[in-house]
Amino acid sequence: MDNKFLITIILLMFLISYLMKMVPMVFCKGKIKNKFLNSFLYYIPFAVITSMTIPEVFHSTSSIISASCGVALAVILGLMGQSLLVIALSSTVIVFIVENFVLRLF
Amino acid sequence: MESGKSDFQKGLKDGLTVGVSYIPLAMAVGIVASKLGMLFGTWEIMSALLYSGSSQSAVLNLISNGATSILIYLLTFSIITFRHVLFSLSMSQKMDPKMSVLSRMLFASFNTDEIYAIAMQQPGKLKAPYLFGISVFPYAGWMLGVTLGFIFNQLLPDSVKSAFGITLYAVFLALIVPPMKKSLSVVFGVVCSAAISWILECIPAVKNTLPPGTPMIICTIVTCTLGALFLPVKEDDEKLEDEIKENNM
Repeated sequence: MDNKFLITIILLMFLISYLMKMVPMVFCKGKIKNKFLNSFLYYIPFAVITSMTIPEVFHSTSSIISASCGVALAVILGLMGQSLLVIALSSTVIVFIVENFVLRLF
Repeated sequence: MESGKSDFQKGLKDGLTVGVSYIPLAMAVGIVASKLGMLFGTWEIMSALLYSGSSQSAVLNLISNGATSILIYLLTFSIITFRHVLFSLSMSQKMDPKMSVLSRMLFASFNTDEIYAIAMQQPGKLKAPYLFGISVFPYAGWMLGVTLGFIFNQLLPDSVKSAFGITLYAVFLALIVPPMKKSLSVVFGVVCSAAISWILECIPAVKNTLPPGTPMIICTIVTCTLGALFLPVKEDDEKLEDEIKENNM
């Protein structure tokens, strides 16, 4: 990856994100009324995060088995309402345990 | 003056937990960047300017997929960052009307999902000293974490690095699973997006011809359009805000 290219896109992305955060905060006072637009905006974070996770998560570690264990644990803890940090760390630890203490046995 | 000072201190205190929780998260992202062979200086600039786990991860994801089109980077990044338009919109309604344009412009660059979630729970209008106070530790924690992660990658054994491969995705899961219990819309959004994403991944023509990052954009637009058409969300912003709050607590 060319460093100059990276710096260029970083600066452009900074500009985009800054404008997105700053302009509504400085200029907008009214609420969005359009129902379709509101719903569309509502779905964005969930759609984006899910598509970044699935199916890549299953190839994110050195074995699909350990990755699946990590996913399963994250989903269970998530349904139990655990916090972000607990879920992230537990999932990482279970992958380490499965890879180093369980899969080694076979 | 007195109240300005105590507002700032209250902000610092509220920001502390967020700052601490950013460190391991930022380390995970730093490790990914280091694995990709990015230069240390470039990484520090990127973290200082973009200052966001989800956008930085998305950019790293594109780099590792070998994306070279500026348009794809900017489009993906814009889609991920677009939620901030919504955050800023709702936050602008809660800000002290006397807060100066300059303060608003400065605070805007430090706002994050978590700061938004906590600030929106405060009683009354948001004053500038509080908002600057709450911004301090999260930014410091983020920069510390990304730096430590980048350095640690050289020191960590492969077995640990492999386990850290899942950390970022576990964070993503932690963001989408808990709200699924509360809302049918979220279940629909997640299931629909996962299905489309998986199908796109399985079609060789899509994988080989479309630039990296495009499947995510297709997936997002289709899911959001379907959701908005068939399962529109009620107009009260409070529901959305509550979910974001619960998400990040």
